[in-house]
Amino acid sequence: MDLFLQQLANGLVIGSTYAVVAIGFALAFTVLRVINFAHPDIFMVGMFAGLVAALQWPALGFLVVAVAGALGAGLVGFALERTVIAPLRGRDVLMTLIGTLGVAIMLQNGMAVVAGPDPVAYPALIPRRFVDIGPVTLTLRQVLNFAICLALLALVSLYVRRTPWGRATRAIAERPDVAAAFGVNVARICQFTILLASMMGGVAAVSVGVLYGSAHAFIGLLYGLKAFICMLVAGNRYFEGVMVVGLAIGFVEALVTGYVSSSLRDAAAFFVLIGVLYFRPNGLFGSYAT
Amino acid sequence: MLTLRDLAVSYGSVPAVRKVSLEIAPGELRVILGANGAGKTTVLKAILGLLRPHAGEIRFGEDIDLLRLKPHQIHGLGIAWVPEGRQLWNTLTVLDNLKLGGFGDRDKTAVDKRIGEMLERFPRLGERRHQIAGSLSGGEQQMVAIARALVAAPQLLLMDEPSLGLAPLVVRDVFRLVREINDMGISILMVEQNANQALKVANWVYLLETGSIVESGPAATIGAKESVKDVFLGGHA
Repeated sequence: MDLFLQQLANGLVIGSTYAVVAIGFALAFTVLRVINFAHPDIFMVGMFAGLVAALQWPALGFLVVAVAGALGAGLVGFALERTVIAPLRGRDVLMTLIGTLGVAIMLQNGMAVVAGPDPVAYPALIPRRFVDIGPVTLTLRQVLNFAICLALLALVSLYVRRTPWGRATRAIAERPDVAAAFGVNVARICQFTILLASMMGGVAAVSVGVLYGSAHAFIGLLYGLKAFICMLVAGNRYFEGVMVVGLAIGFVEALVTGYVSSSLRDAAAFFVLIGVLYFRPNGLFGSYAT
Repeated sequence: MLTLRDLAVSYGSVPAVRKVSLEIAPGELRVILGANGAGKTTVLKAILGLLRPHAGEIRFGEDIDLLRLKPHQIHGLGIAWVPEGRQLWNTLTVLDNLKLGGFGDRDKTAVDKRIGEMLERFPRLGERRHQIAGSLSGGEQQMVAIARALVAAPQLLLMDEPSLGLAPLVVRDVFRLVREINDMGISILMVEQNANQALKVANWVYLLETGSIVESGPAATIGAKESVKDVFLGGHA
């Protein structure tokens, strides 16, 4: 039982990060109808932005570095929206997919040129300490990562359900023409949506950098694929669905690592994907008709 | 108030609207009658900025060229839409749908007040304000669609087949409501297939047939014409 709870806890920590990156995908896909392949690499840029800030000004606390990460990621996300996503909107979804994929490759290789292709040490902004919660032992960094991701997810949920712009975002996701005809500046809200997704990714990225003690130019590949799977499994109808699936996949991975084999960990998510799509092709929680 | 001159709109290479000219003055209720595929919805969407015509002009007031504006700016001028088939945001609540109706308006207090008035005017909606819009009946959804458009306090209401898919008793209620709205001073440009009811409320009628206006005149005159019956016999599937 203890092993199970420990794996549950580990799984939720990992899963919460998947969920944050997945929400970034989901926001772009549901609202803008684009698959933003560069999103995980915007996450990566946020991680390095935080790293640079922490190295430049070592006295800064975690919070400020996280803000730096958010700003770095937000800047790149905003630029991407203006230069690639907005001009291609309305055309074939394949175009933005290819366009953002191109940017993703540029970002990965650009960062590899600057920082090297190997992992780079991340400043220890949070002390190494263990936290005991009942029978479960986690590090302080794990707990913080989970808390931050949960907070970000709660922020998105609040935004989407309680604010006028959030309401407008959901309206655009369901019927963009009608939203425009009722005074919603669709272009502006799409811009903000990408900005929000990017900044959230930036904050989560700094937390992940601290958690694993390293940053890597190609880390986007790992999170991107898992996050994309989360989005497909959940369907794009409810943002909260993507969050739940992110946590669930993290949990499934942890169970597979603990009870089956750690080398099968990465395959677990794909098994879940195939299984869910076989029975519910529109995702667990359904999708809007496109 | 609104003038369309020689408007032409195509879907790719397929012309949907060919050289349509029409106008509506403040306070009027004008109807565009036409069968399925006549181009009625296309005309409304062109006015709203959702479709770009390849020829012609659309003028609001003396000097506002609607072709230069984006849909949300056109809404800001006081033009509101009751789309064909309601087109509510079905995953949102009735109240959220109404709030979005007032999205473009800066004066939030006024918007809230108007939402309150709508919920009073339509008690069934008031009862169901937190219900998901997609779960309402057709008639109730039509009320939401109309209330949503009125929340913005428009000068001009564009209504697309408000009676579509509704039971006859409900249709009567809808048209009574339409007349009430017009009596409040709001101009209405309505597009309809239900000639019977539409002719009773309209000041002026246009007949649209495969993208062109074939008849235009006061409701009484048009109603008496044989060609009206032609258009609608032609439209019967």
